[in-house]
Amino acid sequence: TEPASSSGLSAGTQSPRTHAAHADPLTRRQNGSDTRERPRACAEAPPAGFAPGARLAAAGFQTAQELLDTGPCGLSKEIGISREEALEALQVVRQECHGDAARPAGGSGATRKYTALELLEEEQSQGFIITFCSALDNILGGGVQLTKITEICGAPGVGKTQLCMQLAVDVQIPECFGGVAGEAVFIDTEGSFMVDRVVDIAAACVQHCHLIAEAQQEEDHQKALETFSLENILSHIYYFRCRDYTELLAQVYLLPEFLSEHSKVRLVVIDGIAFPFRHDFEDLSLRTRLLNGLAQQLIIIANDHRAAVVLTNQMTTRIGQSQSTLVPALGESWGHAATVRLILHWDNSQRLATLYKSPSQKESTIAYHITSHGFRDVQPPAVTHSTEGTELNPRKRPRAEEEKQQ
Amino acid sequence: VCVSMSNIQLQGMKMSHSFTGKQKTVKHKYCDSGDGLLLSLPRLGSMAAKKLRRAQLSQEMCERLSRYQITTCQDFLCLSLLELMKVTGQSYYEVQKLLCKVSRACAPKMQTAYEMKLRKSVNPSSAFLSTTLHSLDRVLHGGVPCGSLTEITSPPGCGKTQFCIMLSVLATLPVSMGGLDGAVIYIDTESAFSAERLIEIAANSFPTYFDSDEKLLCMTRSIHLYRELTCCSVLKRIMSLEEEIILKKVKLIIIDSVASVVRKEFDTKLQGNLAERSNFLTRGASVLKYLAEEFSIPVWLELASQIKNNSWKLRGTA
Repeated sequence: TEPASSSGLSAGTQSPRTHAAHADPLTRRQNGSDTRERPRACAEAPPAGFAPGARLAAAGFQTAQELLDTGPCGLSKEIGISREEALEALQVVRQECHGDAARPAGGSGATRKYTALELLEEEQSQGFIITFCSALDNILGGGVQLTKITEICGAPGVGKTQLCMQLAVDVQIPECFGGVAGEAVFIDTEGSFMVDRVVDIAAACVQHCHLIAEAQQEEDHQKALETFSLENILSHIYYFRCRDYTELLAQVYLLPEFLSEHSKVRLVVIDGIAFPFRHDFEDLSLRTRLLNGLAQQLIIIANDHRAAVVLTNQMTTRIGQSQSTLVPALGESWGHAATVRLILHWDNSQRLATLYKSPSQKESTIAYHITSHGFRDVQPPAVTHSTEGTELNPRKRPRAEEEKQQ
Repeated sequence: VCVSMSNIQLQGMKMSHSFTGKQKTVKHKYCDSGDGLLLSLPRLGSMAAKKLRRAQLSQEMCERLSRYQITTCQDFLCLSLLELMKVTGQSYYEVQKLLCKVSRACAPKMQTAYEMKLRKSVNPSSAFLSTTLHSLDRVLHGGVPCGSLTEITSPPGCGKTQFCIMLSVLATLPVSMGGLDGAVIYIDTESAFSAERLIEIAANSFPTYFDSDEKLLCMTRSIHLYRELTCCSVLKRIMSLEEEIILKKVKLIIIDSVASVVRKEFDTKLQGNLAERSNFLTRGASVLKYLAEEFSIPVWLELASQIKNNSWKLRGTA
């Protein structure tokens, strides 16, 4: 057959958008000859070491596409060569076909390959958002992790919103003090966000950092403190009040755009993911579908923008045969959405936090307090400083100073 | 627009009626509350019911969507991407853009915490309603906060209703005397409100201010009492409050009491009642929160509690 023009015939052999690696290069080959010519060209002028060229033609292979679709094992069986030779042959064909064609961009943006080593390095260099309660930070493995979804469940009044407000302030701590120097988005569905309380928490945090800076007398600490003021902290908490699940869905759809504009955001808090979904839902399957969609979008947001996503959930009563227990609301399938699950509960008058689900830390319970300064430990941690590394962890000041200040 | 409502059982009778008028089955359950069927309860303060044509979608797109009975933002956002592609006939990327457009139409506005603080500090005196009990005011950092819900609960006989009546008087006082200079809406489910007691409290607490009958009558005219005896009617009343508040310049809402009417109608031992009860409560709570925030007024909820095993246990709600 005559070599026909590439635009005419080769266009016909393509199916749009399948196997991007295969389709496009075949149209963009430089010499422009018909793809069907390919095997023959190999037979006539085989590249160095391409012995099976004649056998391919004999077996009836007409197009390069067929060859690539068959795969090395099938090819080796059909024409009677070893698998390694078949693989080599295929690679040569692929090479020839690609030529200088650029790889199609986009489309495969979601399939990123990592080795576990790369992931390990990335995880180790990742920052944590501390909670100012060192016991809680310890069981979480350092604090609230970026790029993960953390869920905080608890009965009313146990301190979920307090913890969220504390995190919204702590995410802004400058790096020289051990923070991630980010901004926070606070999506409120219950209306329990109190600005005055955030002012108290932020003032205590700034005070804490000032005392560290005085104790350590380093230049970058002083510089960081200039920008770490009450007004700045409050200005970098972006607050959205969503009245029902429609507004919540709409806001989460718009969140990626918002985060691209405000690239320093490192924390997204949704206070009360359960509240808008617990009423007005006759159709529970719709609710499950919407929640799953929401969870997926949040995971994408957490990964793409390197932000921590913190959700608070309510508790609901599960009536068993003989007793009823408190379990997190929104059902079993929602339990899969969060990577880390923290349950806050009471034991008489002591508040406890239990790490219920975590991929890397073990399940444990600690006690915490909520003081006028925010989320704190129950008793002062051991006076000996942490032994990791040679330098003092700048976050962990000796407790004695804080008591003096109080 | 029919929106799904709470599923309420009234004294063991349950009537349910489901019809498939749309592509998706919508089940409506209602109760006959004696004053008609409670069929449609508009959603207060939310953008969910916003029509798509106000979301700046093109006319033909709106017409096309209405053929599938998708007329509001809520309908649009509840569909998955594939379903949206099917009903709009657009490509994946076009649908993403449409989603953003519709989302922008009903997403809330952003404020920074700093702006919120500035707004509060502009008018500090109207942030609280002082209860005139100094130690209580101190602990509450000023008094009953405006713009949020406050709940009071206690065993019977401790004085909750007296407290409510006292607050009603305080709210009608002028701002110079620590009041809110406005009307009061009092939703009474136990018929415990006594007008005579109201006048007695007013005359004895503020004898210099209420020095004439005229002043007392003026005060009583600004307290609007509603007697509601069922969950349905309480919810209906709460829904209708938005216009009343604007019309009558209301500055305080009192509900006395939520728990009694809930306890009468929902027996938690019966199957399914727990879900219905929490449905009703969260529904009511979200409306009250909207009213409190929108108008910056305090909402005072009274709850009864019961004695259980010698230690009183709170019947929790929102």
